[in-house]
Amino acid sequence: MTAPAAATPQTAASRPLVIDALSAGYADTQVLWNVSMRIDPGEIVALIGSNGAGKSSLLGAVSGVVSTWSGSVRYGERSLTGVEPDRIVSAGVVQVPQGRRLFGSLTVEDNLRMGAYLRNDREVESDLKRMLDLLPRLRERYDYLAGRLSGGEQQQVAIARALMARPQMLLIDEMSLGLAPVLVDQLIELLAQIHQTGVSILIVEQDVQTALEVSSRAYVLETGRVTLSGPSAQLLDDPLVKKAYLGV
Amino acid sequence: MHLVLQDLANGILAGGILAVVALGFSLVWGIMNIINLAHGAFVMLGAYLTYQLFASFHVDPFLSLPISFVVLFTAGYLLQRYLINWVVRAPILTTFLLTFGLSLLFVNIALIVWTGDQRGVTTAYAGANFTLAGVTIPWVKLYTLLAALVITGVMHLWLTRSKTGRAIRATSMDIGAAQLSGVRVAHIYSIVYGLGAGLAGVAGTLISMSYAINPNMGEPFLIKAFVVCVLGGLGSVQGALVGGLVYGIVEAFATQIDLYIGTQHISGSGLQDAIALAVLLIVLIVRPTGIMGKATA
Repeated sequence: MTAPAAATPQTAASRPLVIDALSAGYADTQVLWNVSMRIDPGEIVALIGSNGAGKSSLLGAVSGVVSTWSGSVRYGERSLTGVEPDRIVSAGVVQVPQGRRLFGSLTVEDNLRMGAYLRNDREVESDLKRMLDLLPRLRERYDYLAGRLSGGEQQQVAIARALMARPQMLLIDEMSLGLAPVLVDQLIELLAQIHQTGVSILIVEQDVQTALEVSSRAYVLETGRVTLSGPSAQLLDDPLVKKAYLGV
Repeated sequence: MHLVLQDLANGILAGGILAVVALGFSLVWGIMNIINLAHGAFVMLGAYLTYQLFASFHVDPFLSLPISFVVLFTAGYLLQRYLINWVVRAPILTTFLLTFGLSLLFVNIALIVWTGDQRGVTTAYAGANFTLAGVTIPWVKLYTLLAALVITGVMHLWLTRSKTGRAIRATSMDIGAAQLSGVRVAHIYSIVYGLGAGLAGVAGTLISMSYAINPNMGEPFLIKAFVVCVLGGLGSVQGALVGGLVYGIVEAFATQIDLYIGTQHISGSGLQDAIALAVLLIVLIVRPTGIMGKATA
């Protein structure tokens, strides 16, 4: 593996992402009630909860693809509430969506280039090379259609696509879903490398054990409300968390 | 034998134009799921624009090609951005109705501005032709075919190589993922509709050199574009080209048919649409995804 510092040259995150009393939903169905969260610069924070708790909707609201009903999302001084998704990406808050959502009939290269869609700087080419150094598997698959790759490879492309936007804050939705444990371990290591370059990370996971192990703090979302939060190590020992999510 | 070759040549010459007409229609349909009933009206407007530039300023129709493209692209972009985008997510009948209304509007504006009289763009070189192996080919039609091939080639390169082209293809695959990559879908959609209108306008310019111009001239081209798209497969440049050429050739041969039912004589020229549509049916039975189309995953 290449040294992480060379892998992803990011401007280190210097701003907190603050979600304040956020309510959001689709059409006339409210999904989130009064959710408040905070991710400080350089933190890895986990958001856990069962199916349908509203985790993906929360990320959607932060990314501007799910409409916010009330409350606010701020990134440093900048309000992201009700802002178009492209402005949120250019502010440095980038999401790796659940199910990877690659452009299946585009090549791996084109998928990565789509990640850099808003960039006009001259370092896109060198960033592409760095992605291939970071994820050597993608070098072999560079000209393949993304839809033809295995699940693990697709997840790598999805993360690399997001990194091509040079995020300061990465939102990763269900990274481990459907992947073999050995692949999950590799991706966790990748996250650690990304984190070392100064990127803040919010991970949403059903694999609660993993999520709590890699994060420093965590929030528990139940039916659209934050019911529990605290240092991850503490939540790992929490009897309620153990019973509900760890099956202990 | 040379009659067969002549029909083949006529078919290919006409097919090139059909490919350009169908290309814009196909992009709009394939990428946004809008069956753009105003497409024929855009063809008509491109033809009138060419006519007016020729009649008033003696602009050679080939020089009008970029003008038609820019004018119709701009009109299409604005229509999508400020009108059609409002209903683009609605059921397909809504955009069907809206674009039908737009078509009526443009046709009637053309009736007011240019009246219902037939117009033509008759250049100095309009009648010139050459004979090759017994096949007569008008120069104008040869040049329009070449222009059509260049236009489809450029579109193909632009869609596959340019940043915006890549974003268009990405958006057609997954709107949400495109948004999360920073694509502003309203803008991309407007570009696509603009391209559709621009290509229709360019096709109108090409058509104006060999066909009569009137406010209703777009309608048969709309129907042909529909058939060509289904023949070739939606949203693909190669599909529009192959579909256009196949349709042109089938139509050219259909005009040669002479039928006698009892004492009644039916000539092929009256039947060409029926025959072309029959071919469409057969193709769809054999290859439901179109000639160039791939089965969707």
